[in-house]
Amino acid sequence: MSSIKQNTGLYRIVVTHYVVAALCFLILAMMMLFSVQAFTGHYFHPRILAITHMAALGWGTMIILGASYQLIPVVLETELYSKKLAWISFSLFLPGMIALVYSFWIFIPGIHMQCGAVLLLTAIILFTINVYLTAKKKKQQTIQEDFIFSACLCLCLTAALGTVLVFNFTIPIFTQDQLHFLKIHAHLGIAGWFLLMIIGVSSKLVPMFLVSSYQKTRLLSFSYYLIVSALLLFIVDSYLSGINYRTYFIALIGAAGVACYLLFIVKCFLSRMRKRIDLPMMSTFFSFILLKIAILTIPFIIYYHLKNDPISIRYSLIYGVLLIMGWITALILGQTFKTLPFIVWVKHYEHLTGKVKTPMPADLFKNSLLKVQSAGFIIFCLTFIPGCFFMSQLLLYTGISSLLVTAAMYLTNVFIILFHKTKTYGKL
Amino acid sequence: MENFDITDHLSFMKAEILETLRLVMDPELHINIIDLGLVYGVKIDEPGKQINIEMTLSSSYCPMGESIVSAVKNCVEGHYAGFTTNVELVWEPIWSYHSITEEGKKLLGI
Repeated sequence: MSSIKQNTGLYRIVVTHYVVAALCFLILAMMMLFSVQAFTGHYFHPRILAITHMAALGWGTMIILGASYQLIPVVLETELYSKKLAWISFSLFLPGMIALVYSFWIFIPGIHMQCGAVLLLTAIILFTINVYLTAKKKKQQTIQEDFIFSACLCLCLTAALGTVLVFNFTIPIFTQDQLHFLKIHAHLGIAGWFLLMIIGVSSKLVPMFLVSSYQKTRLLSFSYYLIVSALLLFIVDSYLSGINYRTYFIALIGAAGVACYLLFIVKCFLSRMRKRIDLPMMSTFFSFILLKIAILTIPFIIYYHLKNDPISIRYSLIYGVLLIMGWITALILGQTFKTLPFIVWVKHYEHLTGKVKTPMPADLFKNSLLKVQSAGFIIFCLTFIPGCFFMSQLLLYTGISSLLVTAAMYLTNVFIILFHKTKTYGKL
Repeated sequence: MENFDITDHLSFMKAEILETLRLVMDPELHINIIDLGLVYGVKIDEPGKQINIEMTLSSSYCPMGESIVSAVKNCVEGHYAGFTTNVELVWEPIWSYHSITEEGKKLLGI
């Protein structure tokens, strides 16, 4: 038997990350509620910085790190190198994230912010070492491995640049202003960490969940090289010359990379054996639509930026919202209910399967709550994003209220899964 | 998949075991492992009171692999008291979507 054995140590790490991320999501929605005014101004605002880091680190990255400990061994077909290293990484990441977010919120760029950044950077380096040593155990190299390892490297670079930027507030390191490097920091995080990691993991999981017969990886290889090239070109070019006419071309290369990945997903979808698409998978497909819309805003950002038109700030803001609160959030809201019920189900029922009738993983959460969560999230997208663009407080409040409902439903369902009591329906 | 051989006196028992294994469901797809084409063969060692199941998984690191194997053992031992069950995982032939039976395809809505 060579499949992965679920063990208590791994279960605790994974579940802890999911719970903390779900709590961060609710706190994030509350932070947004108290910062409505900030969404009508420039994105380089203390509240927006705090919210962005809570969303990117406490919500997005926290859950991806947790899911990675469960899924990377599945994707790389080997066991996790060290659970101890995973715990050390978590115990540095959480206080680091809290210190950083709080320091941004009150905006005191002193010792707390610096300590938070250093703790986060150390946690991220330890996570990357753990992933690298896990992948090293495996002989055969796959495109998924390239995606995942490149994503981890980008996360390290994002955190390293972020740490330098934090120190730059008090000790002048760069001659250029913070905004010059903020673009590089943000894109290393979004295109480097989130995009590459999500493609790496989902390209293995989506065909598995859809029972798709499409097995070719050529599109994924194109996607990898195009996205990585675009990212490298963007870093060098925007460092040297800022946003300029070449940025259109770089964006086109990146968009072509994303298009290859989306084409791969479409091919998996069309060749799927499982015809019925459940709500978590619908949320996953909705996330891809939001990613597409976010990419479509890039030419407008470049165009208005080059014209020095302040509307570029509105486009930049909705671009960030579409990516972090749209694409990444929709993906997590869906995939949580594909992964977490399985993890908990294995713990409760592995020893009982084949002996007695048991619930299935999909029976571990409340579908009615998931429906409310999904409806709340759609309303959030339909109101909050236009609200940011048109600077309408009514739309912003409506959107954030819907997001609060979404977060509350999500947290409740996560707890329903985690506090599930073993039950059986009689002998087989 | 096992062929029914009327000259083998254990054929009826083998067929019965295969039918019993229809009770083992894939937790994600909600389809039994026989219709998914995961079971390759059954061997019975009557004097040694042992049943050997040769089967595969959809991938060698299938996250549900351990539970499916455990379910197969529990199911066979629960129905054939006195027998011990050994599950041997094989990776040749590799499982593909073409391994799913017609009944399985119907259950998947194809």
